[in-house]
Amino acid sequence: MRAEYVNSFYKATLDVLKLMLDVEVKQGELSLVEGLVPSKDANVIIGVTGDLKGNILFSFPRDMTLEMVYIMSGMRMEEIDTFVSSALGEVANIIGGNALSNLSASNYNCDIVPPQILIGTYHSVSMANEKAMRIPLITTIGEFDITLYLKENK
Amino acid sequence: MMWKEKYKIGVELVDGQHKELFNRISDFVKIVQDKKSSWDEKVNQVKETMYFMQDYVVTHFADEEKYMAEIDYPELEEHKKIHADFKAGVFNYVNRLETEGYSEELAQEFGAKIMAWLIMHVAATDQKIGAYVRSKEEGSI
Repeated sequence: MRAEYVNSFYKATLDVLKLMLDVEVKQGELSLVEGLVPSKDANVIIGVTGDLKGNILFSFPRDMTLEMVYIMSGMRMEEIDTFVSSALGEVANIIGGNALSNLSASNYNCDIVPPQILIGTYHSVSMANEKAMRIPLITTIGEFDITLYLKENK
Repeated sequence: MMWKEKYKIGVELVDGQHKELFNRISDFVKIVQDKKSSWDEKVNQVKETMYFMQDYVVTHFADEEKYMAEIDYPELEEHKKIHADFKAGVFNYVNRLETEGYSEELAQEFGAKIMAWLIMHVAATDQKIGAYVRSKEEGSI
């Protein structure tokens, strides 16, 4: 995977979390993992099509998810219900949209497939034997991961 | 409270309306997420707050577009397109709730999305209006 498109998603994540939630993000150590495995309580998968093909997985712990929704709504939610998971999915969708603008600046024309939200699922969701890149991200409201699996398709 | 001071763009008319819009969305979400009442008990209130919120989206966007035209905002057309997409998203959910029935799940999904859309719109897109107004003021000194 090339730095250009990994960075497009990484930068979009930083920008959107800062804009929408006032959350600053610090990057942890990158690693290669087998397939896309939702590793935390609330997971959002965005499909990418076009010049790049693949998936981006966001994995958030429960408390961080509820804190993100609290920052947005000013209301304390007790559980990850449809409201909470839809809010999380929409944040991921907005990140995906911003990443597409970053990518088109590097001449990759892509589209995103609406997010799929998985709550409390820890099974691998795709790609046997393919390596994906996991970026752990550290914030003041918790630690989450983005896992990227993208292939050039042009 | 959903509204935050950081959402201000520095134009009184727009900031006041944004605050009202956040309040109406907040009222809708509060009713939808109020776990103390059953869905049947509150569904009429859900509808009422939904239409109240939808009306204000239309009113505010129209007023904001009028204001942008008055100040010769260079990104007016692009901004109008973003408003049109936002409104289409809102109308789509209202329409689905009306035709598919007022389910709690769909109302929760709608509340979450309109909240995220508004935050992103006000925190990013609308800030450019404020920046333009400030740059014009500085230029005229």
